Amino acid sequence: MNKKLITLLALLASTALMPLMAQGIMGGHVTGNIQMDGQISHRDTTIGASEVPEKLLMNARADILYTNGDFSAGLRFEAYQHPMLGFNSQYKGQGLANYFVSYKTQDFGITAGYYYEQFGNGMVLRAYEDRYLGLDNALLGFNVYYRPWDGVTFKGLVGKQRVYWNIGEGLVRGLDAEVSLNDVVKRWSEATTRVTLGGSFVSKYEEDESIASTIPGYKLNLPKNVGAGAVRMDLAHGGFGLQAEYAMKGQDPNIMNDYIYKNGNALWVSASYSQKGLSANLQAKRVDNMGYKSVRSQTGEMLYINYIPAINKEQTYAFLTMYPYATQSTGEMGLQGDFMYKFKKETLLGGKYGTDLHINSSIITALDTTYLGGRGTNGYESSYFGTGELYYGDLTVEIAKKLSNNVKFAFTYGYVVFNPIVEGHEGDLHHNNVLVGDVTWKLNKHNVLRFEAEWMGSDSQYDKEVDDKRCGDWIMGLVEYNFAKSWFVSASDQYCYNDGVGNYYNLSVGYNKGAMRLQVGYGKQREGLLCIGGVCRQVPASNGLTFSLTHSF
Amino acid sequence: MKKLFKIFAITLVGSLLFGACDKIEENEYVVFGGAAGTWYDGDGVADHSQRAFLEKYTGVRCTNCPKADDAIATAQAAYNGKLIAVAIHDSSVFTTPFVDSPDLRTDDGDAWSKALGVFSAGSYPAAIVSRTPATTGWDLFTPTSGIESRVDAIVNQPASIAIAVESKLEEGAVTIGVDLEFLQDVDGELTLTLLLMEDGIVATQVQPDGTRQTDYTHNHVLRDVITDLWGLDVEADGQTGTARFVQVKYDRYDEDWDLTKCHVVAFVSDKATKRVLNVAECEVQ
Amino acid sequence: MKKLILTLAAIVLCGSMMAQNAKLPENVTLKTLDGKTVQSSVIQNDGKPIIISFWATWCKPCNKELDAIREVYEEWQDETGVKLVAISIDDARAASRVKPWVNGHEWEYEVYLDQNQDMKRAMNVVNVPHVFLLNGEGEIVWQHTTYTEGSEEELIELVRKVAKGEPIE
Repeated sequence: MNKKLITLLALLASTALMPLMAQGIMGGHVTGNIQMDGQISHRDTTIGASEVPEKLLMNARADILYTNGDFSAGLRFEAYQHPMLGFNSQYKGQGLANYFVSYKTQDFGITAGYYYEQFGNGMVLRAYEDRYLGLDNALLGFNVYYRPWDGVTFKGLVGKQRVYWNIGEGLVRGLDAEVSLNDVVKRWSEATTRVTLGGSFVSKYEEDESIASTIPGYKLNLPKNVGAGAVRMDLAHGGFGLQAEYAMKGQDPNIMNDYIYKNGNALWVSASYSQKGLSANLQAKRVDNMGYKSVRSQTGEMLYINYIPAINKEQTYAFLTMYPYATQSTGEMGLQGDFMYKFKKETLLGGKYGTDLHINSSIITALDTTYLGGRGTNGYESSYFGTGELYYGDLTVEIAKKLSNNVKFAFTYGYVVFNPIVEGHEGDLHHNNVLVGDVTWKLNKHNVLRFEAEWMGSDSQYDKEVDDKRCGDWIMGLVEYNFAKSWFVSASDQYCYNDGVGNYYNLSVGYNKGAMRLQVGYGKQREGLLCIGGVCRQVPASNGLTFSLTHSF
Repeated sequence: MKKLFKIFAITLVGSLLFGACDKIEENEYVVFGGAAGTWYDGDGVADHSQRAFLEKYTGVRCTNCPKADDAIATAQAAYNGKLIAVAIHDSSVFTTPFVDSPDLRTDDGDAWSKALGVFSAGSYPAAIVSRTPATTGWDLFTPTSGIESRVDAIVNQPASIAIAVESKLEEGAVTIGVDLEFLQDVDGELTLTLLLMEDGIVATQVQPDGTRQTDYTHNHVLRDVITDLWGLDVEADGQTGTARFVQVKYDRYDEDWDLTKCHVVAFVSDKATKRVLNVAECEVQ
Repeated sequence: MKKLILTLAAIVLCGSMMAQNAKLPENVTLKTLDGKTVQSSVIQNDGKPIIISFWATWCKPCNKELDAIREVYEEWQDETGVKLVAISIDDARAASRVKPWVNGHEWEYEVYLDQNQDMKRAMNVVNVPHVFLLNGEGEIVWQHTTYTEGSEEELIELVRKVAKGEPIE
C-alpha cells in the first residue's frame, strides 16, 4: 500500500478521534504513549557504530488506544527517518505499523488486526515485540479466546506475521487449551496443591518453492504444512513449584537448520522452593532443531513463530553483559541455578538492616550430535543426555546491604566463560572475572548520589578482524546524581587499560515528570541494557549526541 | 470429570483442525527439480518448421471429451506433424478414476490447469494452443471445433526459433538432447520445458451417450513434466544464428509406464508471458 | 520530519488534555503466580486506592523501589488501606523465577505475570519501573516512571490524598 496514504490516514484518524473523545460523544477513553529516540552520530569503528551519511537518525512511534467498555481499538504510527544504529535498514520509512479492534469480555474475546500472543512459555508460538531491539513479529489476522468454565481457557488464532513494513507469506494457525484443575474438578477446589495443564498446536502453511538440494538437478521436496505442538504443566504446593513444557515440531527444512528434515523438540523444566527470605530455583532446558519461522528462507531475527528463552540470567551490569548469550535454537542444553537468601536483621551477617545474598549460575553446552548428512537428509542424530562443546557458563554472587538509613551498598563478583562460536566465529573460550561495587547515598529527600565501579579481567585477545570491541581488561566508573525531584545527571567512563583502545565516556542529563521522560546524552555507548536515572532500557551502540523522549498519557 | 472430557474432546478436534503437518518419507526428501541441463554451443537445426502445441484438458468422466479426441486426431492428421497435442488430466471432478482403471492425473498437469485458469473456468474439454493470450486471460476454447483457425495462426508464421529433440533410454535413464537455433533475434528470457507423454493407455472413459467404455484408448497422456513446471532457463543471447544444445537426464519415470509408447515433447516459451514459441517431439528410443 | 514532530506533539497535547480519568483495563489476561489465567478485573480493593507497579526481575530500580516500599508497606496499609499490585513483565526466560523472587524478597504484594505484555500495552507502559495510582473508583489518577531513592515518600503522600478523596494535581 501507499505509505503516504497510510500516514495520512493515521494522522486523520488520530486527529479526528481526539476532539470526539474530548467532547465525550462516543464515551470511552483515549490513552497512548509516544517515544522518540535520536542520535547524531559520528564514525567510530571500535564500537560497531558505523558511519552513516545521514546526520540525524531517529526512531519515533506513537500508540493510540481507544477503550470503551468491552470494546477497544488501537493504532500505532512508526517513523524511522533513517533507522538508528542497531536497527535493520529495512525499517526505513514511516506509516501505520499496527492497528486492531477488539471486543473482550470475561468469557470471550476477539481481536482483528495486529495482535500479540503467547502459548505457554512460547516454545511453539510467541508473537511479540521488543521496541528497543527492533523486533516485531505481530500476527495480522484474528485471535479469539473462550472461557466456557472458570479455569478453562481456549485460544485460537490465524494470521500472517509482520516483517519490517511487509507481511510474511507464511500463514500461521494455532490453538491452545489451558485447564486449571482445581477450578474444574470440584473435589480439588480446596486442595493446597494447584495444578494447571495446557497444550497447544500450531501449524504453518507456506507455498512450495524451488530450493536446490546437494544433488545437481534435484530440488528439495518441501512440506507445505509444518506443525508443532506442546504440552505443559504448572504445579504449585506451598513454597514448592514445578513447571515443565515439552514441545515438538514436524519436518521443517529451513535456512536455519540448512534444510534438514529432522523433527525438532525442546524440553524445559523449572523447579523451585521459596519461603520468606529464601528462594532456590533450578532450571534445565534442552533444545534440538526448534527454530520455527513462518517463512522458511528468512534469515535474521524476524518471522520467528516460537521463542526459546535463553536459560542464563539477564545481567544488568555493563561488564557482565559484554558477552551476552543468545539461544542457539538449532540445538543446546542448559542448566541454571538461582539462590537468594536474606540474612535477618540483628544477626551476625545481617547487621542492623539485614543482608541480601544472591547466587546465580548457568552452564550451556552444544548437543552431542552425530552427523548424518547435509541439506536434504535427516541432518544429524543427537543423544538425549549427551553434551557437546561448552557454549557459555557464568557464576555471579551478589551481596546487597543497607549500611545506614541513607547508604546502600551492593557488591557483585561475576565469572563468565564464553565460546565465540555462539556469535558465529571460531575461537578460544574467553574467561572473564568481573567485580562490581554499587553504592547509593541519599543526601537528603531529593538528592541522591550513586557510584558504580566495575573491573573486568579477561583473557580474550584483541582481534580487530573478528571483533573490534573486545580488548581484554577493563575498568569503569559511573557517578549519577538525582536532584530536585525530577532531574538526574550521570557521567561514566569505560576504559580498556591493557590495550589502550576503547574509551567509552558518556554524559547524560535527564528530566522526568510523571510519565514523561526526556534524556540527552553525549559520548560513546556500547549496545546493551542500560540502567541509569532510575529506568532500564536496551540502547544501541552510538557515538555522539543521543536523545530520547517517552511519554504515556 | 465430564468437563475434563469435554475439554479433551475440544482440544482433540482443534488439534486435528490446526495441527496440520506434512510428513515426507525419507526417500522423498529430494525430488527431481528441473533438469540438470548443461548448455553447449549447438550444431543448428535442419528443420525450420513452426509447429503448434495444443494442451487438451480432459477427464475420464467428461462426456464430451471423446469428441474432442476425435477432432484433435483429425486435425493432427491434416497438419502432418505440425500440431503436437498433449492430454492433461487435472484434478477436476471429471478426472476421478474409475475402479480398476488407471489414474491419469498428474500434479504437474493440475498446476498448469490452475495457472492457465482451466480449473477455475470448470468447463471440459478445454484447450489452448501454444499458450496464446486472449484479450483478458488465456485463449481457452472447447476443442470440438475451432482448432484449425488457431493452429493456422501459428504454423503459417515463419519460426523464430527452430527446435529438435531426441531421446535415448540407456541404463535406466532417459537421456534427452534438445537443439535450438535462433532464426530471428528474440528479446526477453526464454525457458525450455520437457514433458513425457504416453500413447495407448487403456482406461475407462465416459462416452457422449453417457455409457462407460472400459477399453477406451487414451493417447498422448501427460505423465510428467521432466523439467521444472515452467521450464529451465535457456542460456542463449537470442541473436539470429545462435545455436544451442542442452542435454538432460531423466530417471524419475514410473515402472507402470510403457516407455516404448512414450514421447518426449520439448517446447520453448517466453519466460514472462509463458507463450510457446516452438515445439518438437520424439519417441523414447 | 517537521510534520511528524508536529503530529506527535499534537497527539501528546490532546492526549494529556483528556487522560484524566482512564480506568484500569478490565479484560486483559494475566497469570497468577500459581499459573492460573485470570482477567485484570480481579484487581480490586473495596473502594480503596491501588498502586500498580510494573517491574521485572532484571530491573534494578524496580527492585529497589519494591524493596523500599516493603519496609513501610504495613504502615501504609494500616493508614490508607492501599494495596500494591506488582505486575511482572518478565518473559519465559525469568517468569518461573518470579514466584521465588517475590518470596525471597519478602514482598507481601499481589503479584501477576504479564508475559505476553498485554497489560503493559493496555496501560501504555514503555519502560520499567512504571507506577500507577488508582483511586477508589479504579480510575488512574497519577502515574510515574523511574525510581530514585526516597521517591516512595512522594507516593505515600499522594496515596493519603486519594484515600481521603482529595484531588491530585
